[in-house]
Amino acid sequence: MDYRNVLTTCIYCGAGCNLYLQVANDRVVGVLPAKQHPISQGKLCIKGWNAHGFVHHEDRLTQPLIRENGAFREASWDEALTLVADKLQAARADHGPDSVGIMASAKCTNEENYLLQKFARSVIGTNNVDHCARL
Amino acid sequence: MSEDFEPRIIGFLCNWCSYAGADAAGTSRMAYPSNLRVVRVMCSGRVSPELVLRTFREGADGVLVLGCHIGDCHYTDGNHRTAKRIPVLRKLLSYVGIDPARLRLAWVSSSEAQRFTQVVSEFTETVRQLGPLELKGKA
Amino acid sequence: MHRLDSLRQAVRELLDAGEVDGVLALRADHGGTVPHLFQSGDDLSDLALWPKFPMPSTVDLLLSMEPEAKLGVVIRGCDERGLVEMAKRNQVDLARLTLLGVACLPDEVAYCPCSKPYPSEITVGEPLEGVVDPRVSEHAQLGRAERLAFWTHQFAKCFKCYACRDVCPQCFCEDCVLENDLWVERGVLAPPFPSFHLIRALHTVGKCIGCHECELSCPADIPLTILYALLRQDAETMFGYVPGASIEDEPPLVIAGVT
Repeated sequence: MDYRNVLTTCIYCGAGCNLYLQVANDRVVGVLPAKQHPISQGKLCIKGWNAHGFVHHEDRLTQPLIRENGAFREASWDEALTLVADKLQAARADHGPDSVGIMASAKCTNEENYLLQKFARSVIGTNNVDHCARL
Repeated sequence: MSEDFEPRIIGFLCNWCSYAGADAAGTSRMAYPSNLRVVRVMCSGRVSPELVLRTFREGADGVLVLGCHIGDCHYTDGNHRTAKRIPVLRKLLSYVGIDPARLRLAWVSSSEAQRFTQVVSEFTETVRQLGPLELKGKA
Repeated sequence: MHRLDSLRQAVRELLDAGEVDGVLALRADHGGTVPHLFQSGDDLSDLALWPKFPMPSTVDLLLSMEPEAKLGVVIRGCDERGLVEMAKRNQVDLARLTLLGVACLPDEVAYCPCSKPYPSEITVGEPLEGVVDPRVSEHAQLGRAERLAFWTHQFAKCFKCYACRDVCPQCFCEDCVLENDLWVERGVLAPPFPSFHLIRALHTVGKCIGCHECELSCPADIPLTILYALLRQDAETMFGYVPGASIEDEPPLVIAGVT
């Protein structure tokens, strides 16, 4: 019987509350609050209390999927990323940089969001950068 | 308070005793205030705190729960739970500033038509004096 | 001897005796504490006691994971009361548990006032007198209109995070009434007065053991324990029932019999 609690940062909003993931026999089974954390102070919102829900969810995607003939098929990361890069380059070449839009996310780190906007502006060459919170 | 205020009272009456008692009052053409709207339940023990709270929230000014006398419950001891739960709920209402007199529990048997009209008349008057509750739409 | 040293010794002895598969206690972590399952041979130097954490739900989790396992548990008075109430409702089997009781220190009692800040058998510490939360008697002085204004304001802060329900050592229902759209409408914030909170308060009667975790976890700082303490007093006055006092007592609101 193995039971431990692992401190981590909630993956949802930008507040950065900490919580403990309850791990029992290598499965994440629940969440406990982090009483000492200066931001969360032992409190969590409803998303924080359920932050563990997706980890073992049966609907969770485990591999890249490529749509072919109206259906999804599994693919490797290399194949999927190559396809995405080819399509983005083609869109920019055929229809101009502003035909591409980049959506950033609160679930990304600040550093990842910085990279995304750099990618949009310096690599693709467009100002079409926005954020999921505006949806 | 307005002279025109007519209290809206919801009554949860158990099928076997109090509803029959109310029916007996009706067939005997006894008069009692028309403010009461009756909801028939199989046993007063079925009346949960959630149900009473929702009833107040939907606009009831008073809630009346009527059941069989202790010892006469059709399900033997359903009304034992009512006898304990309603007083606790009344205490809780008083703690948050809602007059507990707006919730009344009484036992009325199927032959007590007179008692039924008396309980309803008394309770209607009590709630009339208390005025409207106005919980509906309150945040 | 410092109480942590005494506790470590007791835990070590229990683990070495080989009758339990592990001891559930608190571990010091990142400036706070978190429940941890210590097993035979583990280093006990980071065993901790404060800030406290409610244990019954974790006990339930572990006992359900391994149906044959026996556990040692480090408990405070409130944890023991919680385990007794859960045992009455067939959620835990007390026969599978060895309890190591810790009595609360004076500043711990001041932090979360309760009537009995020590378990029935004390392994570590000295029993102190229970204290009554002064806010409860202050609340009793308020008039009806003041009470209504007070609680309307407090409940209006609620954004239904369900922390009070999730952290409560007694809340184990798989279909929670508070998630039922019929009683607490979905998609409405704050929950319509006084639905969520009064339903929850009623459901604590005969169960609430006064651990204060609900209020400690509330991000909106709603003083829930004032209401629950008042109802706990009523359960004692009206039915002679004290949650957690004895496994023999039957929860009043669900059993037959009129007092």
